[in-house]
Amino acid sequence: MSYMKKDEDADQVMIKLDRTSVFQDARLFNSSPISPRTCRTLLTKIAVLLFTGEQFPTNEATTLFFGISKLFQNKDPSLRQMVYLILKELSGTAEDVIMSTSIIMKDTAVGSDVLYRANAIRALCRIIDGSTVQGIERLIKTAIVDKTPSVSSAALVSSYHLLPIARDVVRRWQSETQEAASSSKSSTGFLGFGGSAQNHAISNSNFMNQYHAIGLLYQMRSHDRMSLVKMVQQYGAAGVVKSPAALVLLVRLAAKLAEEDQGLRKPMMQMLDGWLRHKHEMVNFEAAKAICDMRDVTDAEATQAVHVLQLFLSSPRSITKFAAIRILHNFASFKPHVVNVCNPDIESLISNSNRSIATFAITTLLKTGNEASVDRLMKQISGFMADITDEFKVTIVEAIRTLCLKFPSKQAGMLVFLSGILRDEGGYEFKRTVVESMFDLIKFVPESKEDALAHLCEFIEDCEFTKLSVRILHLLGSEGPKTSHPTKYIRYIYNRVVLENAIVRAAAVTALAKFGVGQKDPEVKSSVHVLLTRCLDDTDDEVRDRAALNLRLMAEEDEAASAFIKNGKRSSLQQAALLLLTSIDSMYSLSTFEHQLVMYVTSGDKQTFATAFDVATIPVVSQEQALAAERTQKLTSATPTLKAPSTGPPKGAAAGGMAEAASASATQKYAEQLLEFPDIKAYGTLLKSSSPVELSESETEYVVTAVKHIFKEHIVVQYDIKNTLPDTILENVTVVATPEEEDVLEDDFIIPAPKVPTNEPGVVYVAFKKLAGENSVPVTSFTNNLKFTSKEIDPTTGEPEDSGYEDEYQVEDLELTGSDYVIPTFAGSFDHVWEQTGANGEEESETLQLSNMKGINDATEQLISALSLQPLEGTDVALNSSTHTLKLFGKTVSGGRVASLIKMAYSSKAGVTTKITVRAEEEGVAAAVIASVS
Amino acid sequence: MAGIFRTIYDWLLRMFWATEMDVTMIGLQNAGKSSLLRVLAGGEFTIDSIPTIGFNTKRVQKGHVTLKCWDLGGQPRFRPMWERYCRGVNAIVYIVDAADRAALPVATEELHDLMKKPTLENIPLLVLGNKSDLPDKLSVDEIIESMDLKSVTHREVSCYGISAKEETNLDAVLRWLIARASR
Repeated sequence: MSYMKKDEDADQVMIKLDRTSVFQDARLFNSSPISPRTCRTLLTKIAVLLFTGEQFPTNEATTLFFGISKLFQNKDPSLRQMVYLILKELSGTAEDVIMSTSIIMKDTAVGSDVLYRANAIRALCRIIDGSTVQGIERLIKTAIVDKTPSVSSAALVSSYHLLPIARDVVRRWQSETQEAASSSKSSTGFLGFGGSAQNHAISNSNFMNQYHAIGLLYQMRSHDRMSLVKMVQQYGAAGVVKSPAALVLLVRLAAKLAEEDQGLRKPMMQMLDGWLRHKHEMVNFEAAKAICDMRDVTDAEATQAVHVLQLFLSSPRSITKFAAIRILHNFASFKPHVVNVCNPDIESLISNSNRSIATFAITTLLKTGNEASVDRLMKQISGFMADITDEFKVTIVEAIRTLCLKFPSKQAGMLVFLSGILRDEGGYEFKRTVVESMFDLIKFVPESKEDALAHLCEFIEDCEFTKLSVRILHLLGSEGPKTSHPTKYIRYIYNRVVLENAIVRAAAVTALAKFGVGQKDPEVKSSVHVLLTRCLDDTDDEVRDRAALNLRLMAEEDEAASAFIKNGKRSSLQQAALLLLTSIDSMYSLSTFEHQLVMYVTSGDKQTFATAFDVATIPVVSQEQALAAERTQKLTSATPTLKAPSTGPPKGAAAGGMAEAASASATQKYAEQLLEFPDIKAYGTLLKSSSPVELSESETEYVVTAVKHIFKEHIVVQYDIKNTLPDTILENVTVVATPEEEDVLEDDFIIPAPKVPTNEPGVVYVAFKKLAGENSVPVTSFTNNLKFTSKEIDPTTGEPEDSGYEDEYQVEDLELTGSDYVIPTFAGSFDHVWEQTGANGEEESETLQLSNMKGINDATEQLISALSLQPLEGTDVALNSSTHTLKLFGKTVSGGRVASLIKMAYSSKAGVTTKITVRAEEEGVAAAVIASVS
Repeated sequence: MAGIFRTIYDWLLRMFWATEMDVTMIGLQNAGKSSLLRVLAGGEFTIDSIPTIGFNTKRVQKGHVTLKCWDLGGQPRFRPMWERYCRGVNAIVYIVDAADRAALPVATEELHDLMKKPTLENIPLLVLGNKSDLPDKLSVDEIIESMDLKSVTHREVSCYGISAKEETNLDAVLRWLIARASR
């Protein structure tokens, strides 16, 4: 009994640890003689504090650090190990940690046989600074090849940490590291004095220092691809490296290399294939995962990996089964037909007692299954849903959501399932996923709309989550009026007004109003009016405000709607209100809107607040554009078909998705700059700015980039000039830009840059007038000549000398192409716009041989940027490495639609062959756009 | 026989009257601190030793007294840290290179700065003019004069000329230090 009591007390001491009191106790370190026992206890307390996230402030950490360094007088090994442990932890926060360098170096000395040598090395690398690393070079070098694995590991890991501090020094240790990587000395126990036989047995079989050495080698060579390749081949050969962890590292490296360089793909795939048959499961899994994650992996390549994983599915160990099913699960959303062969094995896992495995099994089956098997699976899941946690439910619901989009014909069954689980118990995350899945159904599977809305209506009758209620109400408001019986939703919505809290009531009022505004049926309109009038008596002012606003809008809705559509002269705030309320087919680009508002609110300049925030400057995107963006994003996140591969993001996808927003905001930025010039201001609003084009090599004397600005009847070319010559100044800089074709453009004026000092940018604007009228698309190229007076700067005064000399400098030609007149735009369905542009526009097509492209992906990327069009339907990521169809869409600056269908074929001999077909509504645009590629 | 008694006597002294004392050794870089300490601890003198980065400790046993010596680096970046290691010690040993006349003003300035610190009041100071074996060295009197040691007050101050290389006068240093042990 008494023993128990004591134990409890001890526990209490540990729990009640308090930073200040421990810090006070630390005076103990200064006492003499040192008692190793009590000091160790105190150090342990500090360790507990540090490892449980307590942070010592810098001054306390410094005091502790120096207190602890007094303990070096005592030679007790366990105390010393503890000292090193704490010093290592404190080194980040304490000041002047470099003080302990010499004393620690004594313990790491070559030939010293002390137990704590490894600890000392690890601590040493934490306190040392870049300039002193050289001093420990010999020491670390010998430690790396030390016969004790713990010392060798410590030195390797330390070098890894030193690499960013002193790259050049550490890089000299390559040969030692290589030796460590290929040496196969057996470990004698990592814990030093652990000593028990079992300990030895475990550590004997792991060659941890090999793992550390490979990791370090990789860091050393990360800049040099060829030596990395050599490293993978050298150490990847059978039997060279014994540590499975090191091999896993090599597998990842091989996968990365194959990903980055198409040329390396084949040899690396062979290596990966070999690793599939390695005797360690760890390596097999990593190799299988790498193969499955590989960009555009072929069915043949993946078969072997899937086969290996299939064998693991029947392993007796849960962890193995889990790892295998997880990889298959990811792969299934990518290439379901390859995973198909495993279906019998996966099906037996559904009833597995481990719920994680069972969940993955089900979702994998959902992905691999064909339409016929879906119903059976759904039945199985329904029985299974009750006894799994929310997290797994979410996974399953997401799988079903993807399935809905894949097999729209099965939507009825899935809707029933979704509404069923919506009624079950569950947390917010789970409910949200279900509701979002139903939202997606409504958006993308129109047949399900009425049913899904009905289910959602029922759900909000008894929904405990305010957020979800609000979202559903919003959806009812936007979708309800378009259905055949809008009145039945009005009842559900008004119930919310009566029964719910203020936030939901406000949302309900807004939703209700949407049935009233623009309503043709006078009866419905009058009932909405009555309902809204009742809301005027609400206790919450937000609800009252919304009701009042909406009543007002209902009264003058025709005028308001037309004012909005024309985007005309109404006060901008009212416009914004209207826009948020009705969102008929357009909305502000929300990200830009937010950015501008933040900029406005956080502006430090008083001038900004002199004028009201002008909402008219925010670009407007149409509803369908926003929807398209959302769908792309959804499919990307829900189905890893288009996912970002684990290493290196796909540039194309990011560029494509952001193109619209980016170009809009770039135009915005330029517009502000251009408005400063009254002459340019007179041209009207800026329609489009191209991305900067480099007209010179970046190392030349004068670096010139050009941006083309398109106006209604004019074109302004902006030349950004940087003078890289030291001690010279360019004055009165102009650009003589001569269009090749004479009768399309006429010089208007030039705004010269008065002074361009060294390394400061100067801007010259050259304006042209389109001769063929406002909607023409002149295509030409300019020859550009810089003209300036060059003056040397007197080094004594820093002033330019009085006399200079006139000079000319020719830069590369600037192309004005069709793509400069088009803006990438989203559209819901490509086929639809393709038909439409074909019906009332003209078509041009051309076949091109692009021999300098490295592959389909490269060509896709290049074409998207060259044509300046928006890829649709996810065609910006090529899934097949030999053929691809790219669907692009955009609008010209004057609003005409441009659609392009590009078929590509790749062969290693001929490069990429493309057939580009462009359809455009406006005259001459199609030809001009095509010309921008050739 | 007498040797055996002597050993037993020493052992008894250590057993019952063993005292430990802390001594901090400071001075500009290349004054010979680490070399002196090595020789005091019974090691061999080496000409080319590596600069001390931070600090080093060694124990020197003399009779019943154990000297815990803290040997601090003398490079400019470590000088602000001297004070921290001098707090509460039994004696401060300040070593100057008697043959390096050019460094003497800096050494003087650093010493006087340190002595002004209130935390170090009353701690005895021993100034050692090392490298007395070299031809162009300063004598003890010259060191006292040029370092203005007379102005250091509120503490015991002594100054010896020594040579770590030739091991001259080291006994006197140890005797002086041990005499401060009982303080």
